[in-house]
Amino acid sequence: MIEEPYRWVEAIANRREYIEHQLASGSPIAALSYRGGILLFTLGRERQKLFEIYDRIGMGGIGHPGDIERLRMAAIELTSTEGFARSAHDVSLRRLANYSLSPVLKAAFEQVYGPPYLARMLFAELGRGDAPNSFLRLDYDGSIHTNGGAFGRAHEEFGVISGTPASTAKMEQFLRQQNLPAVSLDRALSLALDAWSIGHLSLAADPKDDLPSPDALAGHRTAQLAEASIEAAVLEHASPLPITWRTLRDAEIRPGFDKR
Amino acid sequence: MELRAAREAASPDAGDFAALLRQRGLCPPVPTLSATAGGSPPLTQTQATTILAFKFAGGVLVAGDRRATAGNLVVYDRADKVLEIDTHSLMAIAGVPATAWEMARVLEHSFQFYRRSQLQEMSHEGKVRALSKLLRDNLGFVLQGVGVVVPLFAAYDIVSAAARLYFYDAMGAQFEAADYAATGSGSPAVRSVLHYENTWGSKPLVKRRESDAIVLALRALDTAAETDTATGGVDRRGLVYPIIKIIAKTGIRTLADKELARVFKSTVA
Repeated sequence: MIEEPYRWVEAIANRREYIEHQLASGSPIAALSYRGGILLFTLGRERQKLFEIYDRIGMGGIGHPGDIERLRMAAIELTSTEGFARSAHDVSLRRLANYSLSPVLKAAFEQVYGPPYLARMLFAELGRGDAPNSFLRLDYDGSIHTNGGAFGRAHEEFGVISGTPASTAKMEQFLRQQNLPAVSLDRALSLALDAWSIGHLSLAADPKDDLPSPDALAGHRTAQLAEASIEAAVLEHASPLPITWRTLRDAEIRPGFDKR
Repeated sequence: MELRAAREAASPDAGDFAALLRQRGLCPPVPTLSATAGGSPPLTQTQATTILAFKFAGGVLVAGDRRATAGNLVVYDRADKVLEIDTHSLMAIAGVPATAWEMARVLEHSFQFYRRSQLQEMSHEGKVRALSKLLRDNLGFVLQGVGVVVPLFAAYDIVSAAARLYFYDAMGAQFEAADYAATGSGSPAVRSVLHYENTWGSKPLVKRRESDAIVLALRALDTAAETDTATGGVDRRGLVYPIIKIIAKTGIRTLADKELARVFKSTVA
């Protein structure tokens, strides 16, 4: 069926529709810069969604656990061997995503006889010294969206992924209004939870809708917090070691939310 | 960076960084004995250095001199032979520096790689064994007479809530030390000192306070340097002091040169 070009285009379109449908219920993940580094945040019910990749790189993924796992392992193996053969300073998110992961995802997606990766990933890299933090969204078809800073687009201090484009857009709209990265970790956690709640509320929304009202948001926040567990981690500048990743436990941060 | 299929999680190599390096061709090929069959027998190998470690009241103290030699030549007088592998593990090396430092580097990456990929910390026993495996993989170099390494390993074990100490032979056999261990060409002298102090000294090593432990370590190294040319003494002109690290529940602490200079001046020289 795919000898004819338009059939191939059709097959790809079908495949895209299928994958988008599969991802549509994915719980959002937000990453944002705060004064001390980067916070990665999501609410979940069962499996772990935030992972440490290397000294200064973290990852969050939605999609099929098997596919996320394969990509996570590939990312860890690539960065670890690079860091070993050269140096930890030579490991970069830009190279990992652009040269290694993206071509593989694209090839898998477009070879319609093989299975595609059912995964959407968010990477965050803590800048060294004065270098800005990088956020990068990598999709199942290999497409990459970065937080800018190049090609005339303003640099953004956050990155998000979610199940639907509308939800992603709403989260970005909300985070763009915040004064990042000049916030404390406490404030960043609160903003991340708001961003998550907006994303979760808007999974089925229309892209043109306004942001949810503060009341609706507060209600959704409380309801979701009650039945899901908090998953959060930071990449910290202040770490005494080259490793900057630190997992924040639910029990450690939940009391802070209950007070607010 | 080139992407290859990640290894299956069910494979016994999952989480094994050394296996990953072999797969990617990032390990040097180990010469086999048959490659030089008919050649001269292996050289006599010396591990020109002095490393000592013992348990005291505050954990495990690991100390090493700073001299690196090649034959009768002093190559470097600021070598760091006591290496931090992670926040709670130390490896101290005697033997061929190229192999030893590479081994430490592999080990350091192995622990991180395991933790990141398997989403759990490698167990204490696993870490001790990981070094043993690296030594065994190095057997080809040992037999060629070019890459022998005889390390010490000290790590804090969360399960037994104590810092523990191990020594190895060049083929990878691991031994847990009850009180103290030493390796390198200066080790016979140091072992004698430590045995004497532990048995007939003011009190057993494990009961000594940190300040006493540091004095003992400096004196033992000085004793080794007295008869062993491959062990560097204290270079007071260059202000080069031995490396002393202490491992305890809170992690690893390196003693500052200033502190060592003070102790050395008042109690050793």
